Amino acid sequence: MALPDPNDRPKFAHPSEAEFAQLLDYYGIGWQYEPTNFVIVEDAEGKPLELFSPDFYLTDFNLYIELTTARQKLIAYKRRKVRLLHEKHPEVNIKLLTRDDFVKLLDKYGLDSDEQSLVGKDALE
Amino acid sequence: MDLTVMSNPSSEKTRLNDGPGQPAGALPNPICEAWRDQLGEILLTSAQIDGRVSVLAEAISRDYAGQSLVLVGVLRGIFFFMADLLRAITIPASVDFVAISRYGPSERTHGAVRFTKDLDLTIEGRHVLFIEDIVDTGLTLAYILRNLRARNPASLSICTLLDRPKRRLVNFELAYIGFEIPDCWVVGYGLDYREDLRQLPFIAAFTPPGRRPPTSNGPLAPQVLVPTIHPRSIRITEQPGS
Repeated sequence: MALPDPNDRPKFAHPSEAEFAQLLDYYGIGWQYEPTNFVIVEDAEGKPLELFSPDFYLTDFNLYIELTTARQKLIAYKRRKVRLLHEKHPEVNIKLLTRDDFVKLLDKYGLDSDEQSLVGKDALE
Repeated sequence: MDLTVMSNPSSEKTRLNDGPGQPAGALPNPICEAWRDQLGEILLTSAQIDGRVSVLAEAISRDYAGQSLVLVGVLRGIFFFMADLLRAITIPASVDFVAISRYGPSERTHGAVRFTKDLDLTIEGRHVLFIEDIVDTGLTLAYILRNLRARNPASLSICTLLDRPKRRLVNFELAYIGFEIPDCWVVGYGLDYREDLRQLPFIAAFTPPGRRPPTSNGPLAPQVLVPTIHPRSIRITEQPGS
């Protein structure tokens, strides 16, 4: 398996995304970062009013993943985007990975000590 | 010689007390007492596990009758389930194991997952049933299946004791599923927390140190703790041709 080039990386918006990309690389899961802008709201003439770019696309599994580290009570806007994407593009597979889900991933891989830097106040928002 | 005791060496004292829904940390067992604050309720008793393993073994024996079957498991969490399942399967079957590196603090910089123990058997042209203790994200499974497929087995299917679909990132068809479990950490029957607690004869919920037990929907309700048979696993109880 060819190792990904660490210099050939997109500029991630959040350190949790960089960690997630590294996890996918480790297990050889092909991914693209924000490859698609989906129109999720448009006006009566079909002019786009709101776009949604899920963070990751897993190329081998035809699956988009939206990763959010916002507190559980603050992720309503993400859930709305996912719901609108489902309604507008029912053929698109997407999974919302919440902060709780991500913290469980950190626990699973023994990375709980990095929680603060990845999803805590130290992480860039 | 008491063969019943020899075939399942779990403590008689523990077996008598491991009722479903009971707090595992309250059991009169030194291991449970040591992890009292982290151990939650018993999700699956040893009797429930035994019963389900028998059902899975019966289905596998029927489905693979007359075929060259190889069971493959990934070390180390699989060893109890593999041993019990293999002993309950009534057709000829070989067994082999792989071990793989794991993403984590010391592995992040190594770049890629790798086998730390490869198969000893050749699986080309044979029917491979990959045995998992638990399927959650599917990331490990994705790597292993990709590797096994490259060896040209006659078929490749998956049997898992536990399915935790809430955490799934990548999906696979699971041919045989023992139990679907809620979204919580579990230990026992081979499953560990940092290499501890594998030897518990039952499967219990577990809260890692420093974490709070799941409270977003209230404490784990007893009804969630009752093991459920995944709908897809119903097909394994059907008779051939039905």
